[in-house]
Amino acid sequence: METLLQVKAIQKTYGKGDATFRALDDVSFTIEHGEFVGIMGPSGAGKSTLLNVLATIDTPTSGEILVEGDDIASMNEEALADFRRDHLGFIFQDYNLLDSLTVRENMLLPLAVSKTPVHETRAKVERLAKRFGLEGILEQYPYQISGGQKQRTAVCRALISDPKLIFADEPTGALDSKSATDLLDTLARLNEAETTIMMVTHDAFAASFCRRVLYIQDGQLKKELIRGNASRDAFYQSILEELAKGGAVDDAI
Amino acid sequence: MTLFELAKKNVVRNLSRYALYVGTTIFSIVIYFTFATLKHSHEISALAETSKKISGLMSTSTFILMLFVALFIAYSNAFFLRGRKREVGLYSLLGVRKKQIGLLLLFENIVIGAVSLVIGIILGIFGANALLQLLMRLMDSDLNIGFAFSASAFIETFLVFLAIFLFTSFQGYRVIYRFKLIDLFHADKSGEGVPTAKGWVALTGILTIGVAYWLALQDLMTSSLWKTLGLAMPLLIIGLSVIGSALLFHSVLIFALTWLKGKEHWSWKRLNLLTTSQLLYRIRGNAKTLTLISIISATAITAGGAIFSVYYYAEENVASYTPYTYAWKGDAVEVNGATFESNVEQKTIRTEAQYGERELGVIDESTYRHLLQGLGVAEPAPFKQGEVVWVDPFYDERYSENLESVELSGQTVDVSTRLEESPLNVMTFGGSFLVVVDDMFKTMTEPSETYHVALTESFKNQRDQSERLAELGLEAFSSAPDVYAETMAMNGALLFVGTFLGLVFLVATGSVIYFKTMTEAEDDRAKYTILQKIGISDRDVRRTVRQQILVVFLAPFALGILHATVALIAFSNLLSMNFMIPVLVWMGVYTTIYAVYYGITVRRFMTAVR
Repeated sequence: METLLQVKAIQKTYGKGDATFRALDDVSFTIEHGEFVGIMGPSGAGKSTLLNVLATIDTPTSGEILVEGDDIASMNEEALADFRRDHLGFIFQDYNLLDSLTVRENMLLPLAVSKTPVHETRAKVERLAKRFGLEGILEQYPYQISGGQKQRTAVCRALISDPKLIFADEPTGALDSKSATDLLDTLARLNEAETTIMMVTHDAFAASFCRRVLYIQDGQLKKELIRGNASRDAFYQSILEELAKGGAVDDAI
Repeated sequence: MTLFELAKKNVVRNLSRYALYVGTTIFSIVIYFTFATLKHSHEISALAETSKKISGLMSTSTFILMLFVALFIAYSNAFFLRGRKREVGLYSLLGVRKKQIGLLLLFENIVIGAVSLVIGIILGIFGANALLQLLMRLMDSDLNIGFAFSASAFIETFLVFLAIFLFTSFQGYRVIYRFKLIDLFHADKSGEGVPTAKGWVALTGILTIGVAYWLALQDLMTSSLWKTLGLAMPLLIIGLSVIGSALLFHSVLIFALTWLKGKEHWSWKRLNLLTTSQLLYRIRGNAKTLTLISIISATAITAGGAIFSVYYYAEENVASYTPYTYAWKGDAVEVNGATFESNVEQKTIRTEAQYGERELGVIDESTYRHLLQGLGVAEPAPFKQGEVVWVDPFYDERYSENLESVELSGQTVDVSTRLEESPLNVMTFGGSFLVVVDDMFKTMTEPSETYHVALTESFKNQRDQSERLAELGLEAFSSAPDVYAETMAMNGALLFVGTFLGLVFLVATGSVIYFKTMTEAEDDRAKYTILQKIGISDRDVRRTVRQQILVVFLAPFALGILHATVALIAFSNLLSMNFMIPVLVWMGVYTTIYAVYYGITVRRFMTAVR
């Protein structure tokens, strides 16, 4: 099978002349189908910029991003929006649910926009709701449900269009540790069921759920940790060790 | 940094927001000052002597305008302050005392007030002079007016706005003193929930409006309701319309939107779900404003439409009162440029009528036909032997009395036909008269009196001649130019005031919706960011924004138009006039300006949420 995501030497610079700031500096990596990749790094390392660029919300200054061989840099605004909607799923730290829509409506919004038939939409919503234990609250509004439920709703919304790749941006940032662990378990199980996930986090515990961790610092890819057959706990320890070596312990809480 | 430096920096940074508020204030001052100038103008008061109604009209209108301007400024100030709560909170958090913040806002308000007063009055002077010229033209007056500046208008405007600014400063103070720091940290109050509509309330709303319309369309003359309720009737109609409109926005709209949202085949397409949800989510807070706007629009469209119609038909009206340019009792006098002249022999009879005896003129058939031919009006079929025809141009079956028989030469004769085409000037000959066949006219014993009528190409450039003829002291003299001048003086002033107030109302309603929508845009920015993040295209977003704003603009406007249409139908029935063309023109103008407001609001909304 073709490589899912190929990132080739991307750069992202802000400002002009002397004030130039290089947020991403020659970053290259690939993600294959079915992977669960974590992106780690201290604040300001370029994690968010990388995610925004990959998520097509921002454009790189130079370099190529290929999704199954298609260069997303060559797409126009409309095509990008369609691409984002049909092939990418997003999970954010602050859930990003629309407060005027019910749980069900939030979930089905991407399908409504892609003009999916109503019966198909309904079936998909029911299936996902059952899988994530949201059946009872489908008609409730975001302000009526808990943070964990909100984040699961967001996960459902991200999954509903069967995306090729899910981007998760600090998905556990606003959750208590129980809800966070539940969510990470959910993501890990999703990954076992062949969903490709890329998660940005600065939390070593969250990162330890990944199969592979990329560590960036100062806009550059510094290290790659692969879990292999190690247990999650062992992987957690090795991530912590790496962080300590990298002098970024402060961020590895 | 001192407090005032801070204030200065703030003004510069938030210039666009200040510009909107200052713009509103300047607009209000220009309008008010212009109107006050017209009210205090010597030329207008000279005219007002001839028609007292005009000065009354001006005073009433100025008062309405004052209330309106005050409301309008208070509204935009509230909007302006709302946007600044965060800033006030920040000062508070940084330890600036409330007293100092209050002083800061007061200082700002004084500067804004002074600047807008100066600019507003300067613009107002030009505006007033331009409008004065326009008014003179509308009134068809050839008075020459120089450049006018009215000190009393200046003082009046100054005092009115001083009061308004004092009020808005107080408004600002209140905001600061009621502000609690905790408000700053509260996330948006997202626990409002979606409103549900009760079916019976919606039904009551529709019924209430239905009853109001039914009442409005009752005939003033024949309806027993008008007889029993009398003057309470218009109040009842207006009251029911207002209540009905409020219910409509409170529940019927909610009902319709909920129903639409429930139609999954429609709502689960594109962002329709979001469109309906957003509208539902906002409707509670908007219902009052929407009701107000629909009522204001209805008032403006009705008043404007009616006034414009009367003005539009002024010439026709003149022609129906004075079909011949000049008419008088007596022999021919030289009339320059006359295209048709004729003597008219008239005999006068006395006849019993419903309300006592009255005099009625009689002319013979060939004179009648000759006069109709002179005007180029189609003639009726030839009269039968011995026929007596009654001509009444203003006949209205609801309140005109009927004439069934008259006594001619000692014999009672039945009136066989009633015709409405009259070639005789009302002021010279009286409204209605009889036409009898020539033989019959000859046998009548009453003395015959000679009248003279003259027609010129047009009655509009006849001022001088009319004056010349009037000075001759002709008996029962009637002149179309005089009637026209009088009609124009009154209607022109009415039209001017009507259009002016109508447009001010229009601008105000448009601005209120604009302010409201832009406030929402600020709250909604996060939502549109989410949409962008989850991959919803700009095209879809623009569509839902267009639709949401369209509903907010269209709903009150459509209802306003509906109200106005019913009111104007009632009016036109009452006056037996067809308002169709002038009303459509007026509605067209109104709609166009309103549509421009819609376009601007959509654009600004899109920039605000992006």
